[in-house]
Amino acid sequence: MTKVMTTKEAISQFVNDNDFLFIGGYVCRPPFAAIHEIIRQGKKNLTITRSNAADDFDMLIGAGLVRRFIGTFLSLGVYGLGRCFRRSIEKGIPHKIEVEEYTNLSLPMMLMAGSFGMPFVPVRDMVGTDLMNIKSFMGENKFKLIDSPFDGKPTLLVPALNPDVAIIHVQQADKFGNAQMWGIGGDCKVGANAAKKVIVSCERIVDRDVIGKDPSRTIVPSFKVVAVVEEPFGAHPGYTPGFYDTDFGFGYQYQQASNTVEGFHAFLKEWVYDIPDRKAYTQHYIQKFGYGPFKKLEAAFDYSFPVSYAY
Amino acid sequence: MACCGAREIKNHHVVIVGTGFPAMSANIAKHTHAPDAILMQESGVVDARPKRPALSVGDPCLNPGAAMVGNLLDIMGMFLQAGWVDVGFLSGSQVDKFGNINTTAIGDYEHPKTRLPGSGGANPIGSLAKKTLIIALHDKRRLAERVDFITTPGYIDGNGARERWGLPANTGPECIITNKAILRFDKTTGEACLESYHPGHSIDEIRENTPWDLKILENVHETEPPTERELEVIRKILDPHRMISIYEKRGYV
Repeated sequence: MTKVMTTKEAISQFVNDNDFLFIGGYVCRPPFAAIHEIIRQGKKNLTITRSNAADDFDMLIGAGLVRRFIGTFLSLGVYGLGRCFRRSIEKGIPHKIEVEEYTNLSLPMMLMAGSFGMPFVPVRDMVGTDLMNIKSFMGENKFKLIDSPFDGKPTLLVPALNPDVAIIHVQQADKFGNAQMWGIGGDCKVGANAAKKVIVSCERIVDRDVIGKDPSRTIVPSFKVVAVVEEPFGAHPGYTPGFYDTDFGFGYQYQQASNTVEGFHAFLKEWVYDIPDRKAYTQHYIQKFGYGPFKKLEAAFDYSFPVSYAY
Repeated sequence: MACCGAREIKNHHVVIVGTGFPAMSANIAKHTHAPDAILMQESGVVDARPKRPALSVGDPCLNPGAAMVGNLLDIMGMFLQAGWVDVGFLSGSQVDKFGNINTTAIGDYEHPKTRLPGSGGANPIGSLAKKTLIIALHDKRRLAERVDFITTPGYIDGNGARERWGLPANTGPECIITNKAILRFDKTTGEACLESYHPGHSIDEIRENTPWDLKILENVHETEPPTERELEVIRKILDPHRMISIYEKRGYV
């Protein structure tokens, strides 16, 4: 059964107010087309998670859609601190989000536990620091410090996470949802597989036979996927290996815009609210900056030696 | 500063790096005395061969040419937590005399003066790498008697606190490399002490800019300036376009 639909349909059918979302991407492959659609549809009271959050999370927070953030880190990378994240926490603009703080070891381990159906998982970090002294909405369930039943040593346990929906952007998928990715993985595979439903956004939809030519690249199989959306340029201003580079200039514009509340809202109006979909977004980008800068982002090709699975 | 970091890396070390100065340090080492050192980024990359300086640990230039591109848990779990990482590089907005680092919030956590990004990979690196190198600017705002928030453990309260919390034996910060000096940790007390002062800086000046009563090691000396070869590597191979100037403007040299 084909699961191909538009991003608009996928978000409206499968993302609800109050949902817990895993949003994949680690500079690499943020599902920006879907994020903009969530903002357009105004999904509210969301809980969001990923290790190393960036401009996409900052934007959702600034748009006022986030209630809770299970996180490790949020910044604009080379452009410094997340402006909307700071305003939310320091000044309560548009409101103060609740943050449960973990690390880039413990959080992906919690998603891994969720993806494996384990109730919790021991981790060897966080002990002895203030990360143990602050507990937000997860309260006493943020972690448990026990004596190991094996050797009696202090051992930190953290709970499994099972998001309602995972949204990821990958290079290619078939119409059934078999999703293939290459390049820096971040916590995309464990995050997607921990979720109850997966929305796959991809650069191109390919035939099932193409998937079968190199099946080791599949990170999520079809039966976990509820929607497949073809969104070329869908991770911009992030990058997709083999398709396009990070748009550092655009990242700088977002930082400049989000320095003020007014600038941030003007940015959202121009790039999200006044734009119906990613196709129009790409057209607007080319109209505004020219075809040259758009083309310049396009990846060069340097193919690997073909692999064979034949026997 | 970058050369001081490089000299802490030995050949065959497995090193987790970020971007900026740490990446520069590790690459200087690789081009001079430690060609077999393996550098990795937490995002999932092992032994990258970038053709431009990476601007983030997820930078596209880290993909082509790497020995392995996996995911976060490959690096943070399979290599770091399992004890395979020799050196981790960290920087922080605030660093204290026990090498504890704050990257979470300046001021009170609930009502911070500045909300910082958070731990990211810093806490696990500081917890689990065999030796951690800390890079910081040397003034009374960045160095502290006690950080506002311990995001990443150094020696915590000193005197064996890491072991009491169950952190692996023989791990912890090695030194703080600042723009004025190298402060080396006394592994027993857990306190950072002055080991060497960079050319052009004096012990008095360094004590004045350190907010705790800085102990001076017996063999205190001037830091060896960058060698010809180190400078050549920086200027010709690693940073021909002087991207380092971004950091110099912020006071790092």
